Amino acid sequence: MSYFRITLLRSAIGLPRRSTDVLKALGLKKRMATVFHRVSPSVAGQIMKVKELVQVEECQYSLTKQEVHLERKPDPGYYTEKSISDQRNEL
Amino acid sequence: MFKSTQALFGGRPRGASPPPQKARQRKRLRSVDRVVDTVSAALERNGQTSKAVNRWFAEMPREEEMLPKDKYTLFDKKEKSYRKSIHKLPKWTRVSQRVNPPGF
Repeated sequence: MSYFRITLLRSAIGLPRRSTDVLKALGLKKRMATVFHRVSPSVAGQIMKVKELVQVEECQYSLTKQEVHLERKPDPGYYTEKSISDQRNEL
Repeated sequence: MFKSTQALFGGRPRGASPPPQKARQRKRLRSVDRVVDTVSAALERNGQTSKAVNRWFAEMPREEEMLPKDKYTLFDKKEKSYRKSIHKLPKWTRVSQRVNPPGF
C-alpha cells in the first residue's frame, strides 16, 4: 500500500471557498505543510481539485510530522565520542 | 559592444507577456502535468482509477502539446482580436486555463 505525500506550495487565499475546504479536508493548513494519505480514488479526486497548489509524490511509508521535520535538519558537523565503558553499558 | 536585445528592436508587441513571465507560466503548466501524472501512476499501480484524472487526460492538452497562443492568451469575446493576455484572468497563476470555447 503506497501513500501520497502532498505538500502545499501555494496558498488558496482569494480562491473559491471550495479550494480552501478541500485543503482543510486533506489536512493542509499552511504553506509548505506536508501530509500523507493512502493512495485511493477519493484522495486522487481531492488532489485534482487543488492540483495547481500542491506538489505530490508517491511513497511507500507514511512519515510523522517530526520525521518530516528531521529530513530538513542539517548535519551538525561533529559527533560525540564515547568512552569504551559507556559503549559497554549501552550494550 | 552591440547586444541584440528585445528593447533595441522596438520592444515587445503591445499586450505580449515578457519572456520570463512566459517561462514561469510554462513551469506552472508543467508542474500541474507532473501532479496529474504522479496521481495517475500511483492509482494505476494500485489497480484503481479516478474519474477526475481520466477526464483531465481526455480533455486537457499537456504543456508540450499546447500552442503558444493557448499558453499565453485566452479567448475574450469583447476583444477586437478575440484574445487577451492570460495575466488578465483573475488568479491566473493558480487556475488551469488550457482550452478554448468550441470553434475558437
